[in-house]
Parts: sequence; C-alpha cells; structure tokens
Amino acid sequence: MPNRLRIPMLLTALVVVLAAVGAPAQTYLDLEDQIQEFTLDNGVHFIVLEKHDVPVFSFRTYVNVGSAEEVRGITGLSHILEHMAFKGTSEIGTDNYKAELKLMEAEDVAFDALKAARRASVPVLQKYDKLLNDIPEPDQDQYRTIEGFLKDQPIDVSLDVPSGGPREMTEGETAAVRINHGMGTETEALDEFQVGREEALAIAYYLEAVKDAREELMNRENDFEAAKDAARELVVTNEFGKIIENNGGVGLNASTSSDVTRYHYSFPSNRLELWAYLEGSRMADPVLREFYTEKDGPVTEERRMRTDNNPIGRMIEQFQNLMFMANGYHHSTIGYMSDIETISRTDCQAYYDEFYVGSNMVVAVVGDVKLDDVKKYAKKYFSDIPRGQTLPVETIEPEQLGEKRFIMQDPSQPIFIAGYHIGNIRHPDFPVYQVIADVLGQGRTSRLHKKLVKEDKVAVQAMCFPGFPGQKYDTGLLVFAVPVKDKTGYDMETAVLAEIDSIVADGITAEELAAVKQRTRANFVRGLSGHGGMAEQLAFYQTYFGNWRNLFDEVTVIEDVTLEDVQRVAEKIFARTNRTVAVIETTEDES
Amino acid sequence: MKTTRFFGGLLLIACLLLSLASTAALAKKPWDKIKTPELNEVKMPAYERVELANGMIVYLAEDHELPMVDLSATIDVGAIYEDPAKVGLANMTGTVMRSGGTVNRSGDDLDELVEARGLAVETFIGQNNGGAFLSAMSEDTDLGLELLADILMNPAFPEDKIKLAKEQQKAGISRRNDQPMTIAQREAMKAVYGADHPFARHPEYDTIAAVTRDDMLAFHADWFGPDRMYLVVIGDFDSAAMIDKIEQAFAGWAPARMDLPPDPEIYDLPRTVNVVDKDDITQSTVVLGHKGIRADSEHYAGVMVGNRILGGGFATRLFNEVRSRQGLAYSVGSSSGTGFRNPGMFMAFTMTKSESSEKATDAILAEIQKMIEEEVTDDELAYATDGILNSEVFNFDTKREILDRMVMYERYGYPVDFLQKYQEQVKNMTKAEVLAATKAVWKPDNMTILAVGNYADWDGDFSKFGPVTMVDITIPEPALDIPDATPASLEQGKAALVAARDASGGSKFASLGSYFESATLEATIQGMDLTFTTEKTVVFPDRSYTLVKTPFGNQTMVLAGDKAWATGPMGVRDLEGDDLTSAQEDMAKDLVSVFRDLDDLQCQALDVRTIEGRECLPVHVSGFGDGYQIVFLDDAGEVVMVQQPGTSPMTGAPVTQKVFVEEYGDLGGFRMPSKMRLTYDDELFGTIAVQEFTVDPEIDGALFEK
Repeated sequence: MPNRLRIPMLLTALVVVLAAVGAPAQTYLDLEDQIQEFTLDNGVHFIVLEKHDVPVFSFRTYVNVGSAEEVRGITGLSHILEHMAFKGTSEIGTDNYKAELKLMEAEDVAFDALKAARRASVPVLQKYDKLLNDIPEPDQDQYRTIEGFLKDQPIDVSLDVPSGGPREMTEGETAAVRINHGMGTETEALDEFQVGREEALAIAYYLEAVKDAREELMNRENDFEAAKDAARELVVTNEFGKIIENNGGVGLNASTSSDVTRYHYSFPSNRLELWAYLEGSRMADPVLREFYTEKDGPVTEERRMRTDNNPIGRMIEQFQNLMFMANGYHHSTIGYMSDIETISRTDCQAYYDEFYVGSNMVVAVVGDVKLDDVKKYAKKYFSDIPRGQTLPVETIEPEQLGEKRFIMQDPSQPIFIAGYHIGNIRHPDFPVYQVIADVLGQGRTSRLHKKLVKEDKVAVQAMCFPGFPGQKYDTGLLVFAVPVKDKTGYDMETAVLAEIDSIVADGITAEELAAVKQRTRANFVRGLSGHGGMAEQLAFYQTYFGNWRNLFDEVTVIEDVTLEDVQRVAEKIFARTNRTVAVIETTEDES
Repeated sequence: MKTTRFFGGLLLIACLLLSLASTAALAKKPWDKIKTPELNEVKMPAYERVELANGMIVYLAEDHELPMVDLSATIDVGAIYEDPAKVGLANMTGTVMRSGGTVNRSGDDLDELVEARGLAVETFIGQNNGGAFLSAMSEDTDLGLELLADILMNPAFPEDKIKLAKEQQKAGISRRNDQPMTIAQREAMKAVYGADHPFARHPEYDTIAAVTRDDMLAFHADWFGPDRMYLVVIGDFDSAAMIDKIEQAFAGWAPARMDLPPDPEIYDLPRTVNVVDKDDITQSTVVLGHKGIRADSEHYAGVMVGNRILGGGFATRLFNEVRSRQGLAYSVGSSSGTGFRNPGMFMAFTMTKSESSEKATDAILAEIQKMIEEEVTDDELAYATDGILNSEVFNFDTKREILDRMVMYERYGYPVDFLQKYQEQVKNMTKAEVLAATKAVWKPDNMTILAVGNYADWDGDFSKFGPVTMVDITIPEPALDIPDATPASLEQGKAALVAARDASGGSKFASLGSYFESATLEATIQGMDLTFTTEKTVVFPDRSYTLVKTPFGNQTMVLAGDKAWATGPMGVRDLEGDDLTSAQEDMAKDLVSVFRDLDDLQCQALDVRTIEGRECLPVHVSGFGDGYQIVFLDDAGEVVMVQQPGTSPMTGAPVTQKVFVEEYGDLGGFRMPSKMRLTYDDELFGTIAVQEFTVDPEIDGALFEK
C-alpha cells in the first residue's frame, strides 16, 4: 500500500482510550449452543441469548392469541386488547386504583344501558324511515327535518298526536309537532302535508316513538359520557409508555395478527429489572382503563385508515371473508365495525383471562443480559400470571368445492388477487409451498416477475407468498398482481394463471430449485443479525413449533425439497376448485 | 490518499450516559424503587476511514459474527438536479442502472447471477441523495463487489428497461390518488414548499414521456463518480484486503462531470389553507407545516426537546390530548422541523374521523400555541431530556448506525463530536431555553394546512384558519402522441368517422344546406352562476351568423365568405387576418360541418385510450387550415369527447379545450350530442345544452349584410 497514509484523526472533546475490542469471534454455527431457555412454574417460556457487545437488549413477548381465536361478536378484540396493554396496571397509570375500579364499573353499567338503548332504537328508526320513503318529496324532507331536530339537544320538540296507535284519523283529529327553538314556538300540523290522513297519523305515531327513542339514546349517551369523564379523572395518561421513554426505551410498539399478539421494545441493559417489572405486571395485572375511549377513538380510526379508506384494505377484508368460510381466518384482525362498537370491557376482560395466561406466552430476550438475572427477575415479576389452559380452536376449514370469485367495483385502480388453500406451518409440505412461492413470485427471476413485469410489461408488480393471513392454522397461498396503467385485473388473471398452469404441467427446473436453496441459506444468515430480529425469530419458532430450535432447521427442510415434491404439491394446491379470486374493477367516479 | 484508523477506540460516552433519571419531586412510585445499576461501557467499535486516490471515501468496520458482508454507497446525486420538464429522470436512472444491467452484462443476466447466489444488489436515486447496496455471504464478496462496481460505473440503460421503468412510473401516477395518506403527504409538501419546488414536485405522464436514454446517460455521467461516493463496508472481511479490492473494483472510474450546485432555497411562506375533497372516505388526514431549521442552528437542541414534549413520542401533549383524552385520532404527532442538510419542515399531523376534522386541527394548533407561549413544566423537561439521554446508547448499538452517522457529518460539514455536544446541551437544557427555541422556530399562525377528506361531512369548513383553497388532484392526462400518418392509420381514422357519421344520420349530412341551432351555456365565473344563450344560423358552404346573449349584453359574429365582423355594445369590428381564419375554422370544426364535409378532411387514427371509463379511438382530424381537432369515438361510433387547442375566454391564454358529450338527442332528425361539458385545461368551465335545432330554416339574407 504505497500511497496510503495512516494518521489518527483527532476526536476533539472525546477521550479516546486504546483498547482491544477483539472479543473472540462467534460464528453463527455456535449460535445455537449459546441460546438458553427456562420455563416458569406458570408456563411462561423464556429464551435468552446473551450478547455483550453493546449495553442494550431487545425482547419480544409473544402471546399465542390472534384474531383467529375470536368468535362471532367479538371480532377485533385481540387487537383492542393489544391497545389496552399500554394502559397500565393497578400501580401504573392511576392516582387511586380502588376508586378507579368503582368508576370503571359504573362506566360498564352505563355502556350496557347505552347499548340496550341503541338496540331498541333501531326498529323504531327503521320503521319511521320506511314510512317516510313512501311519501313524496318535499314532504319527506320536512318529516326528516323534524326527525333531525329530535337528535339535537338545544331544540325542544314536543308532539301532539292522537292516542291509540296507527289507525285512520277521524274527522276533527289533528296531529302536530311543536318546535321550540328558543325564539318562540312553531307548530307544524303533520296532516297539512300532501299525505293521506292514515299516513299522517302513522307518521305522527311513529314520530312519537322516534322522539322517545331519541330521548332515551341521548340520556344514555350523556350518562355514558359522564361516567367516562369521571373515570378519566383518576387516570395518569400514558404513564406506562412514559416510564419506558423516560428510561431510554426505543422501538416501543406491539402488533396483532391473525395468529399472535406481539410486544416489543429495546432498553439500555441496566434497565433489565425495570423491564421485567413493566412487562410482567402488564401481563399479570393489566387494568383495562380508558377502554371505551380507546375503542371508539384510536381503534375505530385505525380501522378507517387501514380498511374502510384504503382500497386494498377493503378488498382484502372481503377476500378473506370469502376464502375462509369456517376457520378463524374468516375475519380480518381489525374486526367488523359493528363488533368494535358493541364489545364491552367485560368481554375484553373475559378474553384476557382466557388467553393471557402463562402457558400461552413466550418471552425472548437478546442482548447484554445474564441468564441468571433474567431468571431472577422473571420469577419475581412474571410469576403472578395464572398458568391457565387454552384449548386450541378445533374448527378446520373444509375442503373448498368450487372456485370463488369476488369482483369489487371501486374507484381505485385495479388489483388482482388469487388465494389457494394450503396447510399450516407445521404441515410437512410447508417447505414445498415456500419453494413454489419463491419460484413463482419472489424476486427478480421469479416466473411472474420475469413474464408479467419484465417481458410483457403488463404488471408493475406480481408476487406470491405462503401464509395468508396466518400460518398457525390451515391457510392460504396468496398471489397478487398490480397492472400497469390501462390494463385490468382480468388481464392479470389470465397472465398469472398461465404461469401457474405451466408449473403444474412441467414443474420447475433444477436450476430454479438450486437457486431457492442458496437464497434460503443467505436469507437465513441475514435473519440472525440484530437483537430485535433474533428475539423475533426465537419467539416466533417457539410459539409456532413449540421449539425455537426449528429456526435452525429452516435451511435443511428446504434442502430436502425435491422437484417431484414441487410438482406433486403444485398439482394439488393449484386445482381450480381450490382457488378464490378477487379483482378490483375500477369505476369512473374517482375523485 | 489518507487513512485514519480508530484503533479499537473505547469512547467514554459513558460519562454522558450517567445522567440518570432525575425523575423529580414526585412521591416514590413502585418503579422508582427499582435500582438502575451503572450502564456497562459503550465500546466504540474499531473502524477505519480511507480516502482513495480517486476521491472515494470508505468507512470500514470488521464484524466476524456472521459470514456476511454489507456494502452501502451514498452518492451525492438526486432529483433536485433534474430538469423540471423531466421530473422522474433521476428516479428512473436509479432504477434502470440496476434493472438494465451494464455494458458487460445484461440486466437479466445480472438478475440470474444475483438471485442464484442469494445476493442483494440495489441502486436508487432519491430527492437529494442516491445510493447503492450490496449484501452477500462472505464467500461471494468478490462477485458482489464486481457487480456493484460495474453497475455504478458502466450502466447500459437499454431501451426496453427504460420502457419498463416508464410503465412503472405511469402506473404509480395513475394510482397516486388511491390512498388518502399519500395524497396528504404529497400535497402538503407542495403547499408548504410551493408546487414547483424541487422538494415538492412530482412526475406527470408528460415529464416521464420526455425522458430519453440520452438523458439517463448524461445524468449518470454528470453526477456519478468516485469523488461523489461514500462507501460503508461492514462484515466478515479483512480491512486491508477489502480496501485493495475496492480500489481495484473501481479503478479507472472518471469523476463526475458537473460541479455540485447549491441546494434549492426553501422559503418561509405565509399560511395557506388547502383542502382536497375526496367524497368516498370517512376519515380526514390533516397535515400542518412550515419551514424548519438546520441542525447547526442555535435552537436545534431546544426544538428537539420541545418536540419530544409536543408530539415526537409516545406520551406527548398531542398524543395525550388528541388521541388519549379526546379520543379523536389513531395517529397524531409532530416532527421537530430540523434537518442536517436542509432546513426541515416543522410538521404536525393527524388522522381523524370526518366529523372532528376541524376540532382535531384546532386542538393541535392550540397545543403548539401553548408551546410557544408558556414554559413547559419541570416534569416535562425532565421527562424529555431523560428520554433523550437515556436512549443515547441506541446511537451506538449497531456499527451501521455509527458509520452512517459519520458519513452524514462528513457530507454536510458537521464536526464528528456533534452528537456529544448535543447531548451536553440537552443535559443542561432549561425551561427558558426550550421556550426561546420553540418561540423562535415554531409559528403556528404561519403553518400551512393541508387536509384530505370528505369535506361535506366535516365539522367546520376550515375557513377559520384562513381563506380555503380547494385543491384539484385530478391527474393530468398525457399529451397525445401524434405520430406521422400512415396509409393504414388514415384509412382506419376515416372509416371510424364515417361509421360515426352513419350512426348520426349518414347521407343526410351531405345534402344539408343550412341549419339553425340555439344552445345555452351555463358557467360559473368568479363565483357567479351565469347563463349564455347562442343562436347560430349556418348556411353552407361559407356563411354563419351567431348571436350570443350574455347577462352583459348581446354580441354577434358574422362570417360571410371571406369577410367577417363582430358587433357588440362597443360597435362593429371587422375580423381580419388570424381572426378571420379562426372564424372560418370554427365553422369548419363544428361536428355538423365535419360530418358534412368528411370527404375533404384528413382523419388519422391514434392509439386507443380510455376516456370517461370508455375505451375510445382518438381520430386526429385536420384539413381546416392549420387547425386540427381530435375526436374520441367509442365502439358504437358515439362521440365521447372532442379535444382541440383553444383560447381561454377568461385570460386569452392558449389552453386545451375539451368537450365531453353527456347526452345524445334527436336534433332535427340527426342523432347528435345535445348536452356537453366544456373544460379548459381540464378545469370545468360550463355545460352546454342544445335547445333547438332546425334543418333548412328560413334564412333572412340581411343577417349576412353589415
């Protein structure tokens, strides 16, 4: 190196101490031997990987519950519970827990009463709406305006209607509504409009019922708001997250899928005990405070953002509904809006009691920690979690008997999706699904990318992956394609099916299979880097397979896949009867 | 060539990490009793900085834990250097460098090589930087490095991959209004920086179409070179050997041709209030922002601390107030508005249901206002500074972070101990300093507002924040590509128009001698709803009389062979020269005239395109002097739209005029468009409705006499 000068650069204001860093190199081959584990008496399983290069650690808590465990009526609850896990405990997030408990009970009572009022009002409002639909404009509008007044508090509305329910109004009878808007009273005779007497009377009669229902609703809503406000008085907002941020925690978040609920962040390593206290107590002793505010606010807004106002979200939700008819993958993780509205804290507590139990939890810790310390603090802070016993969901998705199609008319641009039923992640053919998905639709040399994107230039993206929406139960292999401008979802369907047919007919080549295996090796090694990534993998395999060591089999199981396996499995899964297709058909009125 | 080696440096950052939680005055909570032992020392990893003879800066850190090597190159290039008429050039150059392969190996061969070995090799060009990335198993290091260098030095930019990149861009443009969040981000940048600002502008069909292979070759030669590149190499290698390999791989690479220009200026613009009305959604996305500061500003630390209290974290004022307490939003937050290279954008945002759009915006502005009026509390200050100081160790938890930060400081001229000084400032921060900083930098009254949502459902119209501008996000259609006519395209065009004529009345047009037509035009001009009526008498071949009744008086326009004149409240004016030609063209371009005189016109079929959701054949019709028009016909021979160059009736500027047919009707025995929509440069001007149409009416000869 003739031209190379080596001069030390001065790091001003820093003390530079020369020291050997050279900790003996550990290679990924002995990584497996360095991983340690223990199980608490209550079943919480801990996996620990000590890595002392930087004084930090990351963790993953996996609770083995996701939206697939939800039954009808409580869809979205796993996700709501994930939000609630940031609301604190009997010690964190409150000024006075005992007083708060009472107020929360009052909140629950008020919510149940509101729910009952809502339920009762529906038939009344529907009936009124139907009556109005039968009468011509503009009288219909006037009646709707009157009904509208009933929603608003400051206007005093009273009705003057004949008694006796719907019947023909006799000569001399009148029906009227009096509206007092603060500057005097106006009286509208209901039978002055262009409707028959009978209709006028029926409307008047139901208007009275609407008025009662509205009043009841308003009162229950007011009670509920008051109960929420009262309970909130004792809440120390976001104290849980605040403690973590204050102590230097980063990457604080959680996520819910169809299969599992995950919690994670990273801490400086001198906060290990604090972490154990925080994580253990939120699992053992969560308080579902601010439940209704969270559910009606952020959770609902999240549904709007991800699903209702996102064309692909809208599509995926109903695609899932169609593809999975029986098992828990039928509904989306965010849940139906009507369920989000009606779920109560009692529902949530029951769900927590059933699933947030020791036998259902895995915690992986990676970083500058010592096994003995993790053990000590785990025992101290995680032992209050009951052991519990969660029964697996037994419903198995029945064999699909014919192709299913969903055509979504939408103002957004076209998309094509196809789903094929496949086994779960423990199925012996799962590695074969992975090979098929890789060759068909992962990376620049995949069949779909080469043909649809590079050669024919009809798609901007065409991909395939196994495990939609989850992997714990029998699941789906998903293929999706995004067309270029002026091509349709149907164009994608033709092109995608042609590629699939060719794999079914001729299988894949030996070169393709060899490349998948090489990529698997490289990706496996990549996946081992970083504390958070490692914790994620360990917790994942422990949860899905009951053994984190399966992580290290990832390469071998793919190595074992043969060309014959691929053809056998392709023929089976790509049967037309096993297919569900969804297409966005673009409507004109995009704004 | 200079090399700086940091021998296994053990930086005692620990001294800064010692400032442990000063969680003040409160009664001891259970978690306060938990002991926090002293943090183990942060050992700065050994790394090396080398400046190669060709100017390339290389940072290396060995890491033998996994048999992997990662190289990432940062390059001083970006979309800010591209021609505004070719927006998309930089981005596509970054894409085709990789997808198109090099002069030594095609893009497809490159893909096969890369995928067969499980490598990752990627390139990109962003707004004000570019980069390349390689990840390889250590056994494939040589191959990977060779490929990476080849891509950076010798990209081939083949036409078919350029076409592919253009298709991808066009698809992106067509989809850019599908998601409210992307609309909000894009339009907020335009609102804050100005629509044409290099930090805000975005590609359109026409700017993509304008990009050529020569542009890409030039862009690459102009901005790529070893003197513009910073390479960070981390992984399982020997540094000395790696440096040699890098030198060899990039040998002979010429320096970039262009000098680096200064970055575009960012202006402090007054508030505007902008609304994108999207009636198919139930949630509003609101972004508020104004120009921020550079990280070397005296207020940097103060603003960073202030933002951690306002909205840059999990338990901030905005989060507590708007999300947790009022339950208005799923996401709400702010960013400090600091940037290392350019002044950042101080920004707050939320997503909330339509019915609380204004309420949430109000709540955000109120919180910002409080931040510039009152000092934060002791607890808040302690909370924010503890958080920053306690998480300090995470600035050092990966080698990549450390080296990337070094590159950033070097590129933008910050001292290597910038972070340490910042920590020191944070540690000593006072409430008064936070207030001084937020007061100096944040100006809530000046924050431009951009909101996307279903405007009709909002709880307020936003006019309380200032005059509201409705933002039209309609995607401009690409200019029509009009290739040279071929016998086939002419034959196809004529056949299509003949079919359209036959569907409208066929041979009856040829015998048409004269007609009278009255029509109304309803338009909204400067907030006023106005109705105009035109009464037109046409006598073929060369006479027409048009009476326009306007709310401001009547006007007439007469064409009589080679003479024309106009009358109005101001008197009579002769139309000569261009005015005469244009009057003659107007008569000839009327659809009735086109169908009547079809034999004399040239009709060229263009590429099919979708108009109003219908697949249309555009036919380029010419033969009226220099003028032309494009008639879009559907399968059934119905006219969907007629497009032609025109003049804005408001400004007199040249515009593209389009007439969209909304209804067909029976006009004097002909089946012709009876209701139409008129746009200028894709903005609605008004609707036209034909009221009366008489064939061969009685003609008052006096009409055509002056």
